[in-house]
Amino acid sequence: MHDTGLPTGTSGDLVVDIAGLTRVEGEGSLRLRVRDGAVEEAHLEIFEAPRYFERLVVGRTPDEVIDIVARICGICPVAYQMTAVHAFEHGLGIPIDPQVRALRRLLYCGEWIESHALHVYLLHLPDFLGYASALELARDHRAAVEAGLNLKKAGNRIVELIGGRAIHPVSVRVGGFSRTFRKTEITSLREPLAAALEIALATVDLVAGLVPPDFQREARMVALRHPTEYPMNEGHIVSTDGLDLDPTDWTSEFHEGQVAWSHALQARSRDGRPYLLGPGSRLTLAADQLHPTAAAALARTGLAGEIRTNPYRSIVARAIELVDAVAEALDIVEAYQPPDRAATPWTPGPGRAAWATEAPRGMIFHAYQLDERGLIADARIVPPTSQNQAAIEADLTIFAPQVLGLPSDQATHRIEQLIRSYDPCISCATHFLQLHIEDVG
Amino acid sequence: MTSQPWAAPVRHSPRATAPRRPRIGVVKFASCDGCQLTLLDLEDELLAIAERVDVVEFAEATSRRSAGPFDVLFVEGSISTEEQAEEIVRLRAVSTRLITIGACATAGGIQAIRNWFDHDAIRSAVYPQAEFVESLAMARPVADFVAVDGELRGCPISPAQLREFLIALVTGRRPQLPDEAVCLECKRRGVVCVAVARGVPCLGPVTRTGCGAICPAYGRGCYGCFGPREAANTASLAAWFSDDRSAHEVARLFSGFTAWSGPFRAQIDAHGGPPGPGEPQRELQDA
Amino acid sequence: MTLDTGRFLPRDELEHLFTALQADGRRVVGPTVVDGAVVYDELTSPAQLPVGWESDTAPGKYRLRERGGERAFDYTIPVTSWKRFTHPAIVPLTRGRRDEGQVLVESVVPEAPRLAFVGVRACEVAALAIQTRAMRAGPLGDADHAARDEAALVVAVECATSTSTCFCTSMGTGPEVREGVDIVLSELDDGYVVRSGTPAGARLVQGLGLRPAAAAETARATAQVAAVRQAIGDPVAAEGLPGRLRAALDHPRWDQVAERCLACANCTLVCPTCFCTSVAVASDLDGVDGSTTRTWDSCFSLGFGRVAGEANFRPRVRDRYRQWLTHKFSTWWDQFGSTGCVGCGRCIAWCPVGIDVREELRAIAPADAPVGPIPWPRSPAAGRAPASLATVLPATHAVATVRALAAETADTTTLRLACSDPAILAAQPGQFVMVELPAFAVPPISISRMLPDGLELTVRAVGPATSAITSLPLGAEISLRGPMGRGWPVAEAYGRDVVIVAGGIGLAPLRPLIDRILTERPRFGAVRLYLGARTPQDRLFVHEMHALAGRADLQVTEIVDRAGPEWTGRVGVVTQLFDQATWNGARVTAYVCGPERMMQATAATLGRLGVRPAATWLTLERNMACGVGTCGHCQLGPFFVCRDGPVFSLAGLGDAFGREGL
Repeated sequence: MHDTGLPTGTSGDLVVDIAGLTRVEGEGSLRLRVRDGAVEEAHLEIFEAPRYFERLVVGRTPDEVIDIVARICGICPVAYQMTAVHAFEHGLGIPIDPQVRALRRLLYCGEWIESHALHVYLLHLPDFLGYASALELARDHRAAVEAGLNLKKAGNRIVELIGGRAIHPVSVRVGGFSRTFRKTEITSLREPLAAALEIALATVDLVAGLVPPDFQREARMVALRHPTEYPMNEGHIVSTDGLDLDPTDWTSEFHEGQVAWSHALQARSRDGRPYLLGPGSRLTLAADQLHPTAAAALARTGLAGEIRTNPYRSIVARAIELVDAVAEALDIVEAYQPPDRAATPWTPGPGRAAWATEAPRGMIFHAYQLDERGLIADARIVPPTSQNQAAIEADLTIFAPQVLGLPSDQATHRIEQLIRSYDPCISCATHFLQLHIEDVG
Repeated sequence: MTSQPWAAPVRHSPRATAPRRPRIGVVKFASCDGCQLTLLDLEDELLAIAERVDVVEFAEATSRRSAGPFDVLFVEGSISTEEQAEEIVRLRAVSTRLITIGACATAGGIQAIRNWFDHDAIRSAVYPQAEFVESLAMARPVADFVAVDGELRGCPISPAQLREFLIALVTGRRPQLPDEAVCLECKRRGVVCVAVARGVPCLGPVTRTGCGAICPAYGRGCYGCFGPREAANTASLAAWFSDDRSAHEVARLFSGFTAWSGPFRAQIDAHGGPPGPGEPQRELQDA
Repeated sequence: MTLDTGRFLPRDELEHLFTALQADGRRVVGPTVVDGAVVYDELTSPAQLPVGWESDTAPGKYRLRERGGERAFDYTIPVTSWKRFTHPAIVPLTRGRRDEGQVLVESVVPEAPRLAFVGVRACEVAALAIQTRAMRAGPLGDADHAARDEAALVVAVECATSTSTCFCTSMGTGPEVREGVDIVLSELDDGYVVRSGTPAGARLVQGLGLRPAAAAETARATAQVAAVRQAIGDPVAAEGLPGRLRAALDHPRWDQVAERCLACANCTLVCPTCFCTSVAVASDLDGVDGSTTRTWDSCFSLGFGRVAGEANFRPRVRDRYRQWLTHKFSTWWDQFGSTGCVGCGRCIAWCPVGIDVREELRAIAPADAPVGPIPWPRSPAAGRAPASLATVLPATHAVATVRALAAETADTTTLRLACSDPAILAAQPGQFVMVELPAFAVPPISISRMLPDGLELTVRAVGPATSAITSLPLGAEISLRGPMGRGWPVAEAYGRDVVIVAGGIGLAPLRPLIDRILTERPRFGAVRLYLGARTPQDRLFVHEMHALAGRADLQVTEIVDRAGPEWTGRVGVVTQLFDQATWNGARVTAYVCGPERMMQATAATLGRLGVRPAATWLTLERNMACGVGTCGHCQLGPFFVCRDGPVFSLAGLGDAFGREGL
């Protein structure tokens, strides 16, 4: 799959082609155009076949949409379900029971744990240690990989319990869930989560000790920020340069455009600037809301600054968020009491329904237009990876010259490792919608 | 009766040669990745399985690549572009056994709903410069293009069924993947029938089991993500649904993740087409 | 033991009954409300009973209604039946290990918790007894069921209400609870009239120290249940129904109901007497440690009637619905001597499309319909009481060692096995064994020769299990269960001529019969062997048959369906070997084995030659999971092929043989 053939001391036109990125979710390639040692163009080509979700949800009920949008991504289905369900509840004015809110956050913790553990151990760690895969890494470091799999399993157990299954949960409904959960069911998570916390803390130590390539830059970072908790289901959209938006208001600042080299629409600010989402952005903008256990772990690494400036340090950011998600999940489990009812009753109706939540990979935004029958008339779904694409390409443009002088294998490896640092979720990234939604207030 | 002197024993074993690790590939077409991820979700067995098989191609999990040959190739995703249609034919030629996994590969997936609608209109609604985006008019199951040796149904596939399949592969026995209704799983588990006790519409009786009856256990009706079972009498179930539902509502019930499968598609067509962006375009012949 | 006269238990002392049951070392299982329905679950206190609830049912519909008040048993039939506890959905059967050629398989010893069933209705009491008879019809029974059955104490409740789907009156099972029940409660507004019908029940009731029931209380209880009888009426013409159904196997209504039927198996799984199961195999990744488990299955499942090689005896939903209804209301009598249906109405309420068996019976076998042709024979089991507990033990497994292998054809191998198990060594010609290799499915295989120190099995490799068996190395071990089934009746042919017709692998189960006839040759008249095969390469035991052909006291002729130029023998179907025969059919006892169509053609040809149906013996192949008549797979009309067969006479089978989809 590598065929770079980069000679040292480049000059003239050179096209570097990494066809078929591996250990990323979905199908993508990178194409660089280099001239006189400078990168003229970096194109992240998404050739994931489009599935047109924005049109598939037209004519559906809000509950059907929750089932359908999960299928945008097998790694982060909860993120799509949470964003959609909160959009409908907010748009239709449906209140939810505080215990339902807690269960939703617990569910999201489960997905963060599963997704981050998958990425750290199976997708990214092999790069740092020089292996083609975690399967090969396991031959020499079996205990570490097994620990990572157990951590991932703990996350899956949460989603399986609350959602019915680990991938494409069935229980999320507008107003709440399709069933309630007894206290004993929830506290059955206590033991696996306690074990997972140990592994998460050990993961921080492991990845903080890795030596990443030296690549520093300041990026414009965007994330949700909530007054009292680390951002998951709720918060304002904030940025490192002073943005503060209601979560329904994404379109006032950002927009998407199509590029010729990609099936994914790219999102940028309306003024054309790229921006970056993800664990690094969240830690930069909301580290003060971390669970104390995670905050202490972050402080111990001393890497908060580097997390902001070196994308390769995202593996540390994910590890910190693993600690946070596990610790928060434990707290929710202890405090849980069954809600009075599984879901608030509601009636369908017209309106605009929009919301943003923090998927493991970064902020995700949905906006729906409901017609007078309460069915979807229009939809816009903006995954994190499509929002990151422009920033990833910008970073590659800055970074690539550093490695052009290296032997081709190493250079390719470093570039792939960089792309993987953003944990791109490419299956999601092809669902852009371009329909303008009329705000009928 | 005198017994025949025994000749030197001759065996006719399908595994007559010394066993070697089977070469496994995992590839993806148009899909969400969830079915491949189920492989990585076999946390307890993943490393043990990896020791007994040779994973030569699995882009999500390893940078090791191979274009074949494969003893067993797992295929996820529907065929949605010209390129994919060519690639699946090439892959079939280098695979001893080709196993489709998940609703997209076995039934076209949720994206097959677009098969009822005008493709160009859908494409340009999403992409302003539609000429940059290549896709076929329809999202089709893999079996429409090549012969398939086995399938694991589901959206996503069931970890238990995947585990069973892999153990059967490694030990040489037949995988037990029963073709029966979800109802059997509900009743074995002791789940109260949501359809009879609460009037919740449920596709369980016509849907193939394998999931363990998750949806009824979680208080909602089955939405058919494992696809129709054998002898799926969807006409009878649709007639029952029609007692207190409009035709469009009945079509909606079958318009899920395996909508394109024969018995479900038949009811969707008989009841006015699926929900979607506009009117269904045509009376579909055998696609 | 008839029920004794009643005592009275005040409502607020119901707790004492629970305490007494728990003091008896029992966990109490009873009705409780979960997810909008009444189910049976473990209860720790009477507060968990469905106090104040009633239920309404209709075809495809069940609704609970909160009526209020203090009565706890006015709901009617819950969705669960008690078979959940006596015949659970998932039961471990065997554990096995296969390591370096050595094999050990052992049955899991049943662990039956001591339970008390509280709230058992009259129809359910009958259902428990019916299932007991089915599971212990013998000669071998279901050990797990027996253990659980024995460990359960039954506290019945006589119905004070009914719903529109009840028809226990017609089936003769209720609503009154009659004899043989440990304890019976009749709920009145202020308490319970309590009677006992067994020593165990009487002991418990005595320990409660209750006062005798007043005459007025007893009268109220009697009137209550009489009112239920009145309300239900007599919806099904049950008298003579088995015979009428027997006559209606070709009724057009089967096709009509099949258009509605979803074959979803709900009716069979909620039915309190249905007992069909399948066996699932599991193992570790290396196939070393294996286990088998018994799970609820249904005659409505596609795979239920399938045999090796993909043939399916009940491919259409029409066949399967007919099997269920005729079994429940007709052939159950032939098999077990009672009705299979208790009239609880669950199948009507819990059918997702509301098919009503009462309506179907009225259409297919109305009261004025004719009764069937010659009835099928009643099984000896039907007249017997259930086998005693002492004889219903977990199955034993015999280890056998591979001493030699011979390739008969490209896909068929004969294994010679050494075995010292006395039961195996006493096997009769025509019997079969269940062949167990841990981590693989367990197929039934006919014994193809008996030996003083073992046996031979001739196995065709059609799937992974049979392939694994045929590729065992010398010295490898394998586990056998059996021998099972009825074998060839050799004595039937004493003093008569013998005709043996074998098609393909059908020669294998006939070979021990040939062995036996030859050891007793003088007792028979003329002996003629007619052998058929697809091609010359598909013939079994070629050298042996050649040697037999050289004997003066046998006539052996063979034919193949097709052959290349090297074949100098006859080409055609096996019946061509004798369809012009001049021997006297009236003097012949015939033994036939081969593919079903071949046996049909042979039987017809033999019939034309004057061979009597009572003197024509066949061996049938069906899907078998247990081999002992408890999994239900191998049923053919009233017969369990594993237990009543696999050898049958044509006369005995009657029109069950050759009827499509039966």
